Parts: sequence; structure tokens; C-alpha cells
Amino acid sequence: MARQVAMFTDVSLCIGCRACQVACKQWNQLEPEEPEWTGSYQNHAHFTENTYRLVRFIEEPADDKVEMRWHMMSDVCKHCTQAGCLEACPTGAIYRTDYGTVNINQDICNGCRYCISACPFGVVSFNHATGTATKCTFCNDRLHNGLGPACAKACPTQSITFGYRDELEVKAKQRVEELKKAGVSDAQLYGADQGGALGGLNAFFLLLGSPSKYGLPENPRLPQRNVFLDSLYSVGAAVAVGLGAVFAFRSRGEPDKARPTGERA
Amino acid sequence: MEPGLLKSADWPILIDIYFFLGGIAGGAFVVATIAGFLDGQRYRDVVRTGYWVALFAILPCPVLLIIDLGLPSRFLNMLMVSKPSTAIGMSAVTAGPLHLKPYSPMSAGAWGLMVFSACAFVCAAETWLADRKGRASPRVRAIAGVIGAAAGFFLAAYPGVLLGATARPLFINAHWLGALFLAVGAATGSAAIALVLGRLRGSAADMALAPVMRVTSVALVMQIVALALFIVSVRSAGSAGVDAALSQLLTGSQSVPFWLGAVLLGTVLPLLLQFGVIGHRVSQLTALRAALVLAGGFLIKFVLIDAGQATVGGPG
Repeated sequence: MARQVAMFTDVSLCIGCRACQVACKQWNQLEPEEPEWTGSYQNHAHFTENTYRLVRFIEEPADDKVEMRWHMMSDVCKHCTQAGCLEACPTGAIYRTDYGTVNINQDICNGCRYCISACPFGVVSFNHATGTATKCTFCNDRLHNGLGPACAKACPTQSITFGYRDELEVKAKQRVEELKKAGVSDAQLYGADQGGALGGLNAFFLLLGSPSKYGLPENPRLPQRNVFLDSLYSVGAAVAVGLGAVFAFRSRGEPDKARPTGERA
Repeated sequence: MEPGLLKSADWPILIDIYFFLGGIAGGAFVVATIAGFLDGQRYRDVVRTGYWVALFAILPCPVLLIIDLGLPSRFLNMLMVSKPSTAIGMSAVTAGPLHLKPYSPMSAGAWGLMVFSACAFVCAAETWLADRKGRASPRVRAIAGVIGAAAGFFLAAYPGVLLGATARPLFINAHWLGALFLAVGAATGSAAIALVLGRLRGSAADMALAPVMRVTSVALVMQIVALALFIVSVRSAGSAGVDAALSQLLTGSQSVPFWLGAVLLGTVLPLLLQFGVIGHRVSQLTALRAALVLAGGFLIKFVLIDAGQATVGGPG
């Protein structure tokens, strides 16, 4: 396996210019979409089949409680180390590349949409034009030609950076220390730790405040962790119902005129 | 922050119907096999009816699943692709062009559906040959019956496990959906047999009706227990997304079909009728009870899937 790559999105540097969103659409030749009014500058409300990078605009009251404070966060597929979409996919269309990213093979996907409901971040979308599931590819074509993703390339403030995962993780930790020294006490990493939730995210974030402020789950879980226990309970229920059925057929609780009681086959 | 970044697969009612028919097929097959092993002569009508109900219920299922796909022509990709990779998930098994992902209930379900369909066909065909041509093959039926019964239980239960393996708040926190769906499958499968037996005239069919309805009652009790455990386990998870989805089910827009339809009319009333009419000959009531159980079983699956898929609340 090749050396693992990652994207690091530092929201403290994001100015909400959406160059990443535009670069993503342009490189991946994504169709234009009708704008969607979300009550803010954010467009769209969610990832769509034609929006793989999405700058979220979050407004919160500033410290003086009079002005509003902006939080901009350029959101993207997290390329989870333990990926719900990949585990859910029944066709094997979703696979892990040798760089550690998660991709959907458009030639295999049959549009069952299971991955959409299995993603803890609501990333995967259904493309009605192709009949398949789509999401950020980590610019797989660029990656395999020695280039980083288009969004990271376009970002003018280096809010989005691309690199080898181990190096990027060190840089991210240094950045948190820097910010804390500068008095930004709520700076924290999301998904950088490979021992953390979902085995770490290969697109990880520096957030200012709790993940829930950005709509991210505080403690994302791999849905397939349920499969074993749920199956075990199902087997228990099968045994209970099966035994119940055996007793129901053997029981002579009701009048039985057809054959003498006590007779067994 | 706008609530709920999670997305829904937005499965249409086709999938609910598949889950319902798959449960009936699996449940009916299991009941037929158990009855056949205990007393094949005495319960000949149960065995025959059960296997034929299973076959007829499973016939439309692949069609329902295939037309729901974004690209129906690629339905075979569920089982095989030209070059399966090992980088497609935990414990993925590949053999030639075939692949099975044990942690993907949909992948396991596709295989289960195929194995079950084959067994349902063999068993129904065997009963037909035995009845019409006098060519019984007990060993073939026994083997297909055992494999098919295991696959039948699996077919009834796996949709619940499949839902539990999504990020939807109502489902990811529930560990009892598989058990619940299995109980619903057994209840609706045995109720479907009872409905057909009630139409057959003859003392053998009449005699077999009572034990079949007792199976329904056993399954209905399991259904209530699993439903209660489901609600308790989800409620104890207590996140914003869970609370919103659960309140939609229990007190919101889904509460009437859930409480009145699925719980009261579909589960509690048939049980009360079972305990209230012992010793009386009430074939009309049997048909009513079986119909109530079938309607209730469909409603339980329908309202749960609907409440779980609705886009409310935050992450689970």
C-alpha cells in the first residue's frame, strides 16, 4: 500500500470564498445546480450529486451578544478509515484506494442507495442522471498523477492542505498549539487521531468549538458495528419462536377428535 | 446550524412491501418445515400450504428489489462483479467473480434471498409432485426444508439488521430490529397459512388450523417483547436525533398508525381473540385474526421505516 494521504481543513483560516467548491465542480465536471436559499450564504444545504465540497456558513452570536460571528467550514467526504458507506456497499463498488481514500466505482454501483443511509456524515448522494451514488473522489485522477485535490490546490488561505497523513497530523497538532497560545482556547482537532472515532478520518478538521456547532456528530460510529449483536439477538428470537412453534404443533391443549390423544408420528 | 446533516436512502414503499413479503415467505416456510418434521401426515395441509405460500410470496420479491435500483440492469452486481477486490470491506469473501460481505446485510441478504428462493421452489415442487404424481422425495424435501428454514429465518430477520446498520438515529441505536422483524415474519407467515387453511374445506385442514394460530400467538408475543425492547434501547440512547425520530413514531405523525394500527389492532387484538375463543369453532374469526396480524405486520415495518427515514433531528 502506498503512503497514506490526507486533507486537513483548518476552519480558523477559512474566509468562505468558496474557491474550493468552484474548483471541485470545475475539475470533476459537475453540473450546475439551481441555487438553494438556506437563509444564509451557504449554498446548498447539503452535499448533492453535483456538490462534493460544500462551504458551511454558521452564524453564532459574538461575545458582545449584539453582533453575529461567522464560522466558515469547508466540508467534504471524510474518507473514513472505517467507512460506513464502504462496509454497507453490497456490490463492492465502494473500495479503498492504495492511498487510503474511499472511492465509488461508477462502473459497478447499481444505485441501491444503502451507502447513503450508512454514512454518519450525510456525504453520499444519489445521482439521478446516472442512477448511481456519488461523492468526493479525493480527486482520484489527480492523486494518481502526483497532484493534490483541486480544492486544496485552489484554497487561497491554505485552510485546506493536502499531504501525507502522518506529516499532516503533526502539522495539525502544531496548529492547535499555536492557536491555543494565541488565546483561541476552543480550537480542537476532529478526526485527526487515528486511534479515535472511525479509526481516524483521512479528511480531518481543525474546528473552533464543538463538532455539533458544525453539524458534525460528536462521536461518529461505524453502523456495521451493530451487525454482530443485532444478528445474535435475531438468532435468540429465532430459537424462541422456533421452540414456540414446536410446542404449538405438539401441544394437545385443544379438543382433537381426529386422532386419539397421545399418538405421535 | 441546520438540523440533521444525515441523509436518507429514501427507499420507497416497494422496499416495505419486499420486507413484508420476505417475512411472510420466511415465516411460512419455517412453520411448514417444523410441522412437516413433527408430523408430516397429520399436518400435510400445513406443509403444503406453507411451502406454496412461501413460493408465491417470494416470487415478486426480486422484481421489487430490482426495479428499485438506480440501474436495474446491474442487479447481478449484488452477487458478482467481473473482478472483485479485497479492498471492499471487513471480512469480504471473494471466490472467482462472486463476493460476499458478511458485515453488509444487503450483500448477505442478496445471497440469502437466492438460497431461500431455491429451497422454496424445491419444496413447493416436491409437495406438488407428491400430491399429483405420487412421487414423494422425502430426503430432498428434508434437506431443502432445513436449509430453507435457516434461510427463511434469515430472510425474515435480516432487513431489521440491515436497518440497524445505517446511521439513521432511530436505527443505529436499536439492537432489536432483527428480532422484531423475525417475529413479524413468523406471525405474518403463520397467519397467511391460517388464512389459506381456513378457505380449505376438510377435517384435516380444520384440525391444523388451531396449532398454526398458536404459532401466530407465540410470534405475536415475541413481537410485543421485541418492540418494547426496541423502544427502550432507542430511548436510552437519548440524542437529539433519536428523540426527534422516536417522538415522531410514538406521539407525532406516525403515532396513530403505530399505536392504533400496528400495536392495538395488529398485535394486541389478535392475541386477545386467541385467548378469548378457545374451544369454540370460529373460522370466521380466524380469518379476521389472520388478516389483522397481516395488516399489523405490514404497518409495524412501514411506520418504523418511515419514521427512521424521515429527515428530522441531528446526528444520532
